[in-house]
Amino acid sequence: MPAQKVYRHTVGARFAHWLWALAILVLVMSGLQIFNAAPYLDASDKNDVSHRVLWFRAQLVDGKPQGTTTVFGHPFVTTNVLGYTDDGAGGKASRAFPGWVTLPGEQDLADGRLWHFFFGWMLVVAMAVYLVSAFARGSLRELILRPSDLPKLWPMQLYYFRLRKEPPPHGTYNPLQKAAYTLVLFGLFPLVVLTGIALSPGADAALPWLTPLFGGRQFARLWHFVFMGILVAYTFGHLLLVVTTGAWNNVRSMITGWYVLGRHDGVGP
Amino acid sequence: MKRRLFLASSLASLGLAGCSSVKDALTQGPLRSVLGSAQGVDLTVIGTRGLAREYNESAITSDFPLDSLDTPTDTTYAGLQRANWAPYRLVVDGLVARPQRLSLAELRALGTLTQITRHDCVEGWSAIGKWTGVRLSSVLALAQPAQHARFVVFHCFDRDQLGNTYYESLNLHQAAHPQTILATDLNGKPLAPDHGAPVRLKIATQLGYKSAKWVQRIELAANLPGSGGYWEDQGYAWYAGI
Repeated sequence: MPAQKVYRHTVGARFAHWLWALAILVLVMSGLQIFNAAPYLDASDKNDVSHRVLWFRAQLVDGKPQGTTTVFGHPFVTTNVLGYTDDGAGGKASRAFPGWVTLPGEQDLADGRLWHFFFGWMLVVAMAVYLVSAFARGSLRELILRPSDLPKLWPMQLYYFRLRKEPPPHGTYNPLQKAAYTLVLFGLFPLVVLTGIALSPGADAALPWLTPLFGGRQFARLWHFVFMGILVAYTFGHLLLVVTTGAWNNVRSMITGWYVLGRHDGVGP
Repeated sequence: MKRRLFLASSLASLGLAGCSSVKDALTQGPLRSVLGSAQGVDLTVIGTRGLAREYNESAITSDFPLDSLDTPTDTTYAGLQRANWAPYRLVVDGLVARPQRLSLAELRALGTLTQITRHDCVEGWSAIGKWTGVRLSSVLALAQPAQHARFVVFHCFDRDQLGNTYYESLNLHQAAHPQTILATDLNGKPLAPDHGAPVRLKIATQLGYKSAKWVQRIELAANLPGSGGYWEDQGYAWYAGI
């Protein structure tokens, strides 16, 4: 019997997916470049060392530079990884995040901002394209988590843990997929964009409700970083599932739109 | 075997260096103007709207950070400082009907106001200060900009180690904003030399690098000189509201 194919992803969804992928990669790398210019986060509406929750520094210890990461007041030696790292030009320097993970590689706040603000808009464009195309096709209905899905979340998790033979009955997407996509689409993406906009003095004047919503500019900077971290963790989980549930079938379906039904139905990324 | 090792290690280092140079080539290539196009979107979407947040006295940062070029040390500036700014004249010229040379007293006589606003640095930190000064719009009204004047350019006393002079610019809309002031006092005291004495620009709706310290001359112009400012010439966005 020939493999049964379903048309799973519309052209709008596929375009949005790859634009998201590119935008998130560029935004994280250029964001770390921007972060390096002030390598600390304060849980306060303004800078305040007594409310510092994260701080990357290079300190001289016995005449040698040592990378130090201070988390909630607890210092850790992180030389060569964080604090004192690769300067992106073949040497080492006092830098929070190393050059290989920042965009551009060398310390360059101006160009980091150039990348970040262009791809920030790209994230918004991808969101708009996705929502319009999904709404037009009516596929948002299949994706959004509903109250009726809640009792199925734990059985689905048991199935992922191989503690249950069959997944609970569901539609195109399983309850955990729905929960993940709903949280990312309507939680994480808007929050990461809004906390980013809240850092801007022009936006704080134009939209005066926004920055206080997150506790002030420095708090918004902390949240922006936290949401970035969650988004990166989600992306790694997503990639893990892509690879373990039929990598080629998954990637191909996100390029051509066609998904071949098989043993991984409904447990994909 | 050695040859293979050599090949492998050169390929590896090429790969590492390549990654960095690819990132640089992407940034400096034709893509740069595409990336820069977002600035126009920012200016249109956010621009200069509304009023910057004002704070209570209790929110003031006690030790306002210094983050700029070095305080000028040239003989002109040092001489003015020694004379307690008495010979200082703020020059307003360029495309204006009535060029001005204002002493500090004449400047203050235009009417001062005090505002406690947040200073947002492009690096990411912020500090809150109490600024007293004169609205830039009052000074411009005195000088009467010509019809074809579009930009206000601030020429400053400070210069970098290569001798490049600091300058900044705003468009007339940003200059007319009620919280765009020529500050003479910080936290109730005349500006210290390190904070831009005797007169600095303070624009509350944009990042710190727009708020030029040590303002010497204000020029009305039809076009921007260079990219519109010292940091702009080094790749920073002219619109610094974001």
